[in-house]
Amino acid sequence: MPTEKMVVLASNLCKTYEVGDLKVEALKNVNFKVKNGEFTVISGPSGSGKTTLLNIIGGIDKPTSGRIIVFGKNLGVKDEDFLATFRCRKVGFVFQSYNLVSTLTVAENIAFPMEWNRKPENHIKKRVEELLEIVGLQHRAEHFPSQLSGGEQQRIAIARALANDPPLLLADEPTGNLDAKTSIKIVEILKMLKENGKTIIVATHDEQILRLANQIIYLEEGKLVKPVE
Amino acid sequence: MSETFFPINDLLRRKLQTSLIVVSLILSVASTLFLLLFCDRIGFGISLMAEGMLTVGFSVALSRFIIFIGILIFVIGALLISFMVFVMMSQRVRDIGLMKAAGCPNDLIFGYFMNELFIVIFLGCFLGVVLGIVADFAFTNILISLNFQISQKPTNLWIVLLIFALYFIIALIFGTKPILDTTKIEPAKALSPTYYLGISKESGFKIVSKSGLTIKIAMRSLFRRRLATIRIFLCLTTVFILVTVAVAGGIIADQTTKSWVEKAIGKDVVVIAHQEICSQYKLLLSKFYEAEKLSQFNYTDNKYLLSDELLNQLNQTSEIMRIDMRLILEASIREMPGYIFNSETGVTTSIGDSHNGVSLIVGVEPEKVLNEWFLDGEFLKENKSWEAVIGDSIAHKMFTLPLKQKLLLFGGQSNRYFDVVGVCVDPINNGNVTYVPLKDLQNFTGITKVNIVLVKIEAANDRTEVLNKIKTNVKAVNPNYEVFELNEILAENISFLGYVWSTIMFLPAFSLASASLCLMCYITLILTEQRQEFGVLRALGAKPKTVLKIVSWQSIVVLLSSYALGIAFGVIITLLILVPEPLVTSFTIIEIAWWLLMALVATFIFSLYPAIKFSKKPLLEIMT
Repeated sequence: MPTEKMVVLASNLCKTYEVGDLKVEALKNVNFKVKNGEFTVISGPSGSGKTTLLNIIGGIDKPTSGRIIVFGKNLGVKDEDFLATFRCRKVGFVFQSYNLVSTLTVAENIAFPMEWNRKPENHIKKRVEELLEIVGLQHRAEHFPSQLSGGEQQRIAIARALANDPPLLLADEPTGNLDAKTSIKIVEILKMLKENGKTIIVATHDEQILRLANQIIYLEEGKLVKPVE
Repeated sequence: MSETFFPINDLLRRKLQTSLIVVSLILSVASTLFLLLFCDRIGFGISLMAEGMLTVGFSVALSRFIIFIGILIFVIGALLISFMVFVMMSQRVRDIGLMKAAGCPNDLIFGYFMNELFIVIFLGCFLGVVLGIVADFAFTNILISLNFQISQKPTNLWIVLLIFALYFIIALIFGTKPILDTTKIEPAKALSPTYYLGISKESGFKIVSKSGLTIKIAMRSLFRRRLATIRIFLCLTTVFILVTVAVAGGIIADQTTKSWVEKAIGKDVVVIAHQEICSQYKLLLSKFYEAEKLSQFNYTDNKYLLSDELLNQLNQTSEIMRIDMRLILEASIREMPGYIFNSETGVTTSIGDSHNGVSLIVGVEPEKVLNEWFLDGEFLKENKSWEAVIGDSIAHKMFTLPLKQKLLLFGGQSNRYFDVVGVCVDPINNGNVTYVPLKDLQNFTGITKVNIVLVKIEAANDRTEVLNKIKTNVKAVNPNYEVFELNEILAENISFLGYVWSTIMFLPAFSLASASLCLMCYITLILTEQRQEFGVLRALGAKPKTVLKIVSWQSIVVLLSSYALGIAFGVIITLLILVPEPLVTSFTIIEIAWWLLMALVATFIFSLYPAIKFSKKPLLEIMT
């Protein structure tokens, strides 16, 4: 069961991009909270600011104004080295386009976040095998990403995101590039993670994932329209 | 879309890539043309400077260097251009695949991209040629205003046309190949990353350390771009051969030729003769670096012949270690044809002609000479008569196979033949010198005395004190006699050689700059290709310096492998081909190592600029 401990706290979050002379307001005064163990879905039409919000929570981007507190740290004021360590230890990221490192094998792709986290060799090996079993791709360990299908690549991306057992998992449209049948496998993994008490924030339109949510944050043109419990 | 608008739009769309390639092409063509024009000027300048100066042997060694460096510069330019055009067209492989997949006919695709290639290489070659001519003109004028001896002859238009035409063709061939290759394959292959990345399955999963991981990513990235990697490797190897030949060769040749001069003139040697002979002897030695025509001089005038009293006094001076008595004069000589007998075929071949010339004739006591020469053949021997060792200029100008020929010495009581037993490199009278045994020359001329004495002082003594003592004693015998040290003239000869070699060593700096630019281009290719990958690594917790490390490793591997091969070949070429009997001391090795290390470090640091700039970019900008 989720505890009341706060994982994410966003207050008056604004993000403006400048494209030439044009200013695009991607987020406008967004306020929300994510509690420990909660499954939160960020939803909304394309261009509504879902990915921007997810990037800010994960420390990939910084807000123009407002505060984003994740695990008690104000990420908006931290330097790149801190954020790198933060992303490595606290956050697991799943991208819509998988983003596996093409020069590393499947096993190496899962292993490298742990190597950065200075985990011992035997732990890494054991964890890689464990994660491959979870996503059902043990037989693909020595293949390169270009030799996998889209669905398989996304499952490996989830395994990689879970490598360091991060307390927060962020996923940006994890089923966006997949067909309905393949998406089911991804949803099953997310469901299993939710049951294990992992805090998860997913940006998606996928009905199946929406059904898993404890909280839905609906964005429209950068504004939080209605937080749905 | 027309075949004209598509290429223009496509090039404008890739502003950064297009400008980088065009600028690199311009700089490569410009720097190569500039170097060849400048080489032509320096080569011409050296031959102008050397007219009436430098012995023929030295001029031949210099010309060999300049021709070799010129060829290397041309090859480097061709490699640089082919590399950049290849990189540019390889980046379009995926686009060609997309167009094919969309149903665009092959000939149309080929036309689009050929026009694009044509525009880029024409711009690069044309502007490069213009910039090269401007740089040559500006640099020549700057050097002239700084009082350097550079030829002001008009720009060699043949070189300009040759460079433009050849480089245009090379760029066209290397640029067309990737387009042709891609238009021939199925769209699916062109679109597939496995086609252009060339990744294969690897057996065995091993955990690697954090640093091992960066090396692994770096190495695999290098191998997946193997065609580009091979090209940059070849290019850098040639550049390092050039740098080694110019720097190591220049330093070794500089020291070797300086040692030839030093040994031929003699270090710490003191000359004693009539003051007019002394002045003439200085002029004879300075002909190596000053093109002055000497006036007629009668060396055998009675007043120049040294008295027995002086020689006795010198013999009695305990501080004098060795005395080298000489009779010098000027005489006409003739090359005598020789014969070579082939014992296998039994055929006798005639060699040589009957060239006439004037030479400085020096009669020496073979066992007592203070100098050592860089010799082909052997030196005179005490127990042998009517033999001669000739200077390299005489050997080149008058003889075909001097060691198989005789020379005829005119004058004296009757003309005499001398067997040529050796050819020496000697700066005196610019190599127009013939050494013969003193007793033979005395018999030939009927002069029983000598007109110049070279002495060497015991090292243990106070040199100034001994010199003053000798001067006083010599002046006491005859106030017209003079004592002088050869060290000052020796220093002038050596500094002139140093100037000539340093001019050559300065040439590879430009090629090195072009190569650094080329490596920068390669690093930019790495960053463009791995941009997304680096973004992911950073998003998953890699620090900016990790990205820098991956790129640095790739740069180090390419640089070090080409550096090792380039230096190995460069040293072999220098030692085996360009410099005969090289003089290599431990100091020479340290000096060469220092310069070559500086070249490596400079290239490496310069090449990392795009990576440093990239690592400072915000993560989101990389990922977008």
